[in-house]
Amino acid sequence: MADLSVNVGGLRMKNPVTVASGTFGYGQEYDEYFDIARLGAVTVKSLTLQPRAGNRPPRLAETPAGLLNAIGLQNVGIEAYLRDKLPFLRKKGCTIIANIYGYAPEDYAELARRLEAEQGADAIEVNLSCPNVHDARTVGGCKLVAQQPEAVLKYTRVIRSATRLPLFIKLSPNVADIVEPCLAAQEGGANGLSLINTLLGMEIDVKSRKPVLSNLVGGLSGPAIRPVALKMVWDAVRAVTIPIIGMGGICDARDAVAFLLAGASAVAVGTASFRRPDTAIRVIEGLERYVDEQGFSRVTDIIGALRTE
Amino acid sequence: MPFVMDCEVLAHQEVAADHFRVTLVAPEIASAARAGMFCMIEVGAGYHPFLRRPFSIERIYPDGVSFLYKVEGEGTRLLSRVRPGDTLNIQGPLGRPFPVPGGVRRYLLVAGGIGVAPFPALAEAIIAEGGTPEVLLAARTERLLVGARDFTRMGCRVTLATDDGSAGHQGTAADLLEAALDPRESVVVYACGPMPMMRAVHEKCQAAGVVCWASLEAHMACGDGVCMGCVVPANREMEAERMVRVCREGPVFDTRDINWTACP
Repeated sequence: MADLSVNVGGLRMKNPVTVASGTFGYGQEYDEYFDIARLGAVTVKSLTLQPRAGNRPPRLAETPAGLLNAIGLQNVGIEAYLRDKLPFLRKKGCTIIANIYGYAPEDYAELARRLEAEQGADAIEVNLSCPNVHDARTVGGCKLVAQQPEAVLKYTRVIRSATRLPLFIKLSPNVADIVEPCLAAQEGGANGLSLINTLLGMEIDVKSRKPVLSNLVGGLSGPAIRPVALKMVWDAVRAVTIPIIGMGGICDARDAVAFLLAGASAVAVGTASFRRPDTAIRVIEGLERYVDEQGFSRVTDIIGALRTE
Repeated sequence: MPFVMDCEVLAHQEVAADHFRVTLVAPEIASAARAGMFCMIEVGAGYHPFLRRPFSIERIYPDGVSFLYKVEGEGTRLLSRVRPGDTLNIQGPLGRPFPVPGGVRRYLLVAGGIGVAPFPALAEAIIAEGGTPEVLLAARTERLLVGARDFTRMGCRVTLATDDGSAGHQGTAADLLEAALDPRESVVVYACGPMPMMRAVHEKCQAAGVVCWASLEAHMACGDGVCMGCVVPANREMEAERMVRVCREGPVFDTRDINWTACP
């Protein structure tokens, strides 16, 4: 039996499989299908200082092998998370990655401080890359913080100074060169990177001549984006020294192995959980089989083991 | 506790143009199911369509369930090609069922088009409670009035309406309801159909001071309350949010809890 444990930027995980923020709620719903404590970590839906109602419906559009969403970070807010959601995750014994979102660096810093002070997370993932929040689209004339390396550096520094928890910066694929924001996050003191958030996309109903989403545009996820995500992880791995959590369209163990071979230190299952709630568990089981069959004793043996010559 | 399981297709018939009934062997799901709940059905093995499709449970049998659906897009088109003996992967039962209070004099079931889908199970539950369901069934035209005979066979009173007058009264489901409602009686109304129809039914019930339960339809990615994709604007604070999930807080809502003017 292979050793699946990993240490990702100071976060110890019993296996390298977590779930993508926003595809797993706060864990309770999917615990009806399997023991969520079996996951390497549970990454919770983005938390903001105040609750958010999110965008008007329609919020979803299915596209070839993918899902376009414009949820708009509907969430219960940090207070309700700590009060109502956290006790369940702690009782289960889950390793928790709390994803946070703010409108200014100080918001993120405040969220990180509270999470650390109230043991609300074992690591923090910083969402600098949500494509669906209108009021965030003003930073330096850019739509996303993650699209401006100087802003990534500034935000990361401020959040870094607010917490000692392992800090992962979640970046956007909607850039010309993924390496630049990765380097900025590393320079700002991040312990790791989460790659990638959704790709910006659009769908039009030609009958009504209207965009399908109320937000007009949304973020594309699912198997359609997997090769894009894999290539960005591979690019980033060769440019930074901090570990990377790879995500984007992972549906099975074979997909997860590809990200690990490309150099990701852990992976997250996202949209695929919507189709089969236990996808992440199947990935863990398949990953263990793969490591055994390849004759390795530890999953870390396959991280970055891509053969390019 | 919902199940995720491969279920054998027992029967699959076209009951009207583009309208199908699929019956599955699913004893576990059947024993947990209540009228008004739904299941997520995997419509294909490949990556497109990637997501399951939500369907209200039409009827609950001792060892299985049936679904009544209309072919609308790629997912339902694929589903319509499934044959008896094939298996379908089903997730469910999900969502909150219709409340069936006892001691009510009249149970009015108002259906528009394929909105009839969850009502056969509800009619059976009302009959089990000792009531006689009155089904007000409306559609665009006669051939789209699905299930009228099934309701009659069960012992329901059935009134029909069509937009074009090809069967029953010429008019809408809300027109039928207006004619049937008597505020002096203890009445509970159930509605399922297109959003404008349910809104009209809600307004008639409000005016008459009658409780109305509506089963809402929405595009869903997960069906489990996770993706936040299927929300509708709410009138009251539920879960501290203004948007409520059709899959989790619904699909059956007290219509006073929905902000109908803000619905798309």
